[in-house]
Amino acid sequence: MAAPSLWEVLDRACNTGPVMATKDFDMKIFSVATRLTKEYDIKYDPKTPVTIDDSLADDAWNAGLQLFTEVGAYCMNSSRVIKFDESEIKQGLKELRGEAIIGEGSERRILKLRKVEDNSPPSIVCGGVIESNFPEGENFVKLYQSIAQEPLIDGFYVGPPLQSSEGRLVRSGTPLETHLGRSMVSWVREAIRRAGRPGLHFISACTSAIANIAAADPNEGLRRSDGIVSTIMPELKTDYENLNKIVYSHDYGCIKHVYNGGMIGGWAGGPEGALIVSIANAIMAVIVYQMSVGASYHALGYLRASTPNYSAFVTRPCLWGSSIGSQALSRNTKIINTAVAMTNAGPGTEMQFQEIVAAICASIPCGREGLSQGARRFKVVPLLGSGLENRFWGEVGHAMSKVKRDFANSLAEEMLQKFEHRITRESDGGPLGHTLDEIYDLKTLQPRKRFLDVYEGVKKELEDLGLEF
Amino acid sequence: MTKEEEILQNLSDAVQSFDSDAAIDAAKASVEAKISPVKAIEEGLAKGLRVVGDKFEAGELWLPHLVLGAEALEAAVKVLEGHMAIEDLESTNRGTIVIGTVEGDIHDLGLRIVASMLRANGFRVYDIGCDARTLNFIEKAKEVKADIIAASSLMTTTMPFMKDLVEALETAGIRDQYKVMVGGGPVTEEWAKAIGVDGYGKDAAEAVRVAKELVKK
Amino acid sequence: MTAPDFWEVLNRAINTGAQTPVRDFDMKIFHEASRLVKEHDIKYDPEVYVPNDDSLADDVWNAGIELFLELGMYCMSSKRVIKFEESEVKDALKDVSDSVEIGEGSEKRTVTRRGIGSTKPPVIVGGVIESDFPEGETFIKLYQSIAEDPLIDGLYVGPPLHTSEGHTVRMGTPLALHLGRRMASWAREAIRRAGRPGLHFVSACPSAIADIAACNPEDGVRKSDGLFISVTAELKTDYEALGKTAYALDYGCIRATHGGSIIGGWAGGPEGAVVVSISDFIASVMVYQHNLDPVYGDHGLTRCPGPVPISSVNPGMWGTELTGQAIARNYKGPNGRFFLTAAGPGTEMQFREVAALCIASLASGRDLFCGGGIRRYKVKPMLGSALENKFHAELGHAATGIKRDDANELVKTIVQKYEKKVTKDGGPWGFTFDEMYDLETLTPRQKFIELYDKMKNEMKDLGLEFKY
Repeated sequence: MAAPSLWEVLDRACNTGPVMATKDFDMKIFSVATRLTKEYDIKYDPKTPVTIDDSLADDAWNAGLQLFTEVGAYCMNSSRVIKFDESEIKQGLKELRGEAIIGEGSERRILKLRKVEDNSPPSIVCGGVIESNFPEGENFVKLYQSIAQEPLIDGFYVGPPLQSSEGRLVRSGTPLETHLGRSMVSWVREAIRRAGRPGLHFISACTSAIANIAAADPNEGLRRSDGIVSTIMPELKTDYENLNKIVYSHDYGCIKHVYNGGMIGGWAGGPEGALIVSIANAIMAVIVYQMSVGASYHALGYLRASTPNYSAFVTRPCLWGSSIGSQALSRNTKIINTAVAMTNAGPGTEMQFQEIVAAICASIPCGREGLSQGARRFKVVPLLGSGLENRFWGEVGHAMSKVKRDFANSLAEEMLQKFEHRITRESDGGPLGHTLDEIYDLKTLQPRKRFLDVYEGVKKELEDLGLEF
Repeated sequence: MTKEEEILQNLSDAVQSFDSDAAIDAAKASVEAKISPVKAIEEGLAKGLRVVGDKFEAGELWLPHLVLGAEALEAAVKVLEGHMAIEDLESTNRGTIVIGTVEGDIHDLGLRIVASMLRANGFRVYDIGCDARTLNFIEKAKEVKADIIAASSLMTTTMPFMKDLVEALETAGIRDQYKVMVGGGPVTEEWAKAIGVDGYGKDAAEAVRVAKELVKK
Repeated sequence: MTAPDFWEVLNRAINTGAQTPVRDFDMKIFHEASRLVKEHDIKYDPEVYVPNDDSLADDVWNAGIELFLELGMYCMSSKRVIKFEESEVKDALKDVSDSVEIGEGSEKRTVTRRGIGSTKPPVIVGGVIESDFPEGETFIKLYQSIAEDPLIDGLYVGPPLHTSEGHTVRMGTPLALHLGRRMASWAREAIRRAGRPGLHFVSACPSAIADIAACNPEDGVRKSDGLFISVTAELKTDYEALGKTAYALDYGCIRATHGGSIIGGWAGGPEGAVVVSISDFIASVMVYQHNLDPVYGDHGLTRCPGPVPISSVNPGMWGTELTGQAIARNYKGPNGRFFLTAAGPGTEMQFREVAALCIASLASGRDLFCGGGIRRYKVKPMLGSALENKFHAELGHAATGIKRDDANELVKTIVQKYEKKVTKDGGPWGFTFDEMYDLETLTPRQKFIELYDKMKNEMKDLGLEFKY
């Protein structure tokens, strides 16, 4: 049987899928995930942030596949379950192309599959800030210019929307947000033009579909070589906003970037449940968001549902999940899978650099195709984000493509020991870090010496630990 | 262990094992043994749910456990209610809270966690869900005579609706009848102060602590 | 004070306008409209279809502005009232441009002000309300057949069909978005087949997201095309309409605004409805930014009470023509009129309604005939064709230059022929596209060609001279 088309998927999501209460769907995920974790004997091992166990990765894959086949996906607007036959799922996975072309002109890049412990260089799609607190206009342009001027990057992530548009307070779902989506993209085009890289790829992550769609324009907006970010919501959930983004990406012909964050402590249960549910989420991305159609890439993240910083991607159980999830997808699918890192610490701090290293340990040597969305801290002050941590993201990403998993494991452990104890409730996760204007001289758009010293210091430390840049 | 202690332990265990049927059985046994229903709730059921809440905080149990534990507690309370005076029933309620995620925001996970933790700590919680309109918060608060209105947001662009909530309460002249607290991913203490709410919780545990303080005042 | 820019308007709509229950706003409309009708001594005359009283038209205009200043526009999504100062309204009206360019390449047309009694022909935007058409080929053929008529200067496309990719379309779902984009691409295919690839068209999806998704400078709604943005009766807008406006300004395409009041609704009787029609129009000017190019509107459609919202009989005709004249006398920009008929395609009654509407509008100084071209209210599948559009366009040219008193007599004669046939459901359903046209050759069937000629002759007998 052929994989269902997007229109058939939409028919199930909007018209024909069985209606179910959200709570029942959530509880079903929990019970099936708990059962499968037992059946496959998957156990969280805090001592091994980066696993070298191939069979564990395959077990996680099989459990995830079984979970998705049993549970299906859920559309929050229609309260309908979108279910698929095993043969449809298998066919959908088979149709993946294992390649995505991004950017245009001299900035054209090909995202290619990487194996576990693959020596080939990863793709670096940066971004790296939750810049919702950035001021409009010039500073926003400078932020992205500071990122785009880093030669190692192949593209970057932009989003979510700022808090003001034309000086007025932006609320979700209002036309000011629609306008802002378009404004942000035109500032990004200005930033890459200033960086001398007008064809550089970016992905736009407005929360509402209408803002993303309004940003699309083959000349002056989001081009077909750029991408729209859609999300699989925890767990196995979608809504009309995200489906609208997918429909439009198909109609317009731009790249799809799917973000999927498995939640530890949520409906999936503990780290083991979150691991297999996130794999089910990735399969949902392939089947529901049609990753085999056109060019697409995926970002698999793990976050914790409980304190202290619930959005952290780089706590110990998250790294464990990420390392296995990376390998499970790399060994069993042609999904282009990239890494994200929502850090506890903010920009310009040693701790954020250490967190970035840990996140990359669990992804690049584990077969991820690259990095995306950059590193960022959740609770923000205005102007929090810079090109510097993105430079680090790129450099470490390339360096880590040359290492084996056991080295990555010891390096990750080393890093965790340095920062783990600093993730506290009192500090809201970790140090807040520094703002763009603190880290950079905004006239020359170069990092200030003090921060370059921190950067070089951490790099030196890594070299001492055996990492070659 | 006395008979009473044994029953209280069973109540607590039933919640801790998320077993609504066992909780109902234990509640019936408690009624037969003529244990004070208030005691059965406070020293049996609620105690068990607090253990679940603590384990969730420690990363040992998960959101579904919180939900199932709270359901077991509620099932048992239904049995006990028939044998309690209204004032006794009220005395087991630490405070009444209307909680929801504000307009335009469909993030429900944090909301469910905070709602469950509040339940675990003896609050009567009315969860009005995601994408909740300002007027729905207020209508529900009036209907259930709430002590606290709690609003959550996970997007900077939905945070302004928290401000609307405060303004709407002021416009209606009932701002002093409710304590208002806010929380959620991007929400900061500064924001809470700026919009003039009474409490801010940066996570579920803090939300419980703040709610307890607010009902004391 | 200068007219507020759109971002300031949005700020009032979203953040700062006073929150008011909709019922209070509606009752205030009724109250104020009733007061102003008395103060300005506006009286409906059921014998008059095309009024000829300039001072009455100006009274209506002034009362409408006064009402708008009192009330403002209501945003249904935020429940906030968007209010304006008198100086802001005056300033915005001053800044309105007197022409707009539509279409591109050899299909570029300039819509200019004609004014009452003008001898310049109007611009004709054809179309149908085709919500029940099948997807794809038949839809393309419908628009191709309309576009093939050289007198057609543009097309109105919308609202959405019932299916997309064969699946039921529900409002607000991603299938509706996809359909919006598909319809625009079918419209492009239709005009390409007609040999007029630059022909202007207006996309009229109910949701902003579908209209926005339809925009694309290459294969979708281009900058020379338009988005249809409505004032909801009375004096209301929402985030859909405001979202379309925000996007149209960002993208730079044409805003085709639409508005009009309902007799027997919040405005009260025919007199109140004409006043509120003007207020609805001013709301469009201020909120949808008529002072910024490119924009054209069709406003002042004052619809009869009852289940069928038509304006081809009185009091709808009187109201629509009076507001049309008020706008023509006091507003600098293009002044369009939307056509609604009670009868369906291929019927004598619909041809007569079209004729009456054309003659009346031309005399009242309308510059542009737009929207739905011709519409029948209760639709069955495939109801709509190029034939009534052709009649519409030819009559538009034939009746150019007609004076108001002559028009009134002519319209009275024509209306008398169909007035009694207006029923609760409108009138006769008419015939479907495939009944009227041979879809292979895309030409009308003999029976309907004969009907067309018969109706044209009837109009000639009434004294109209056809140029085409």
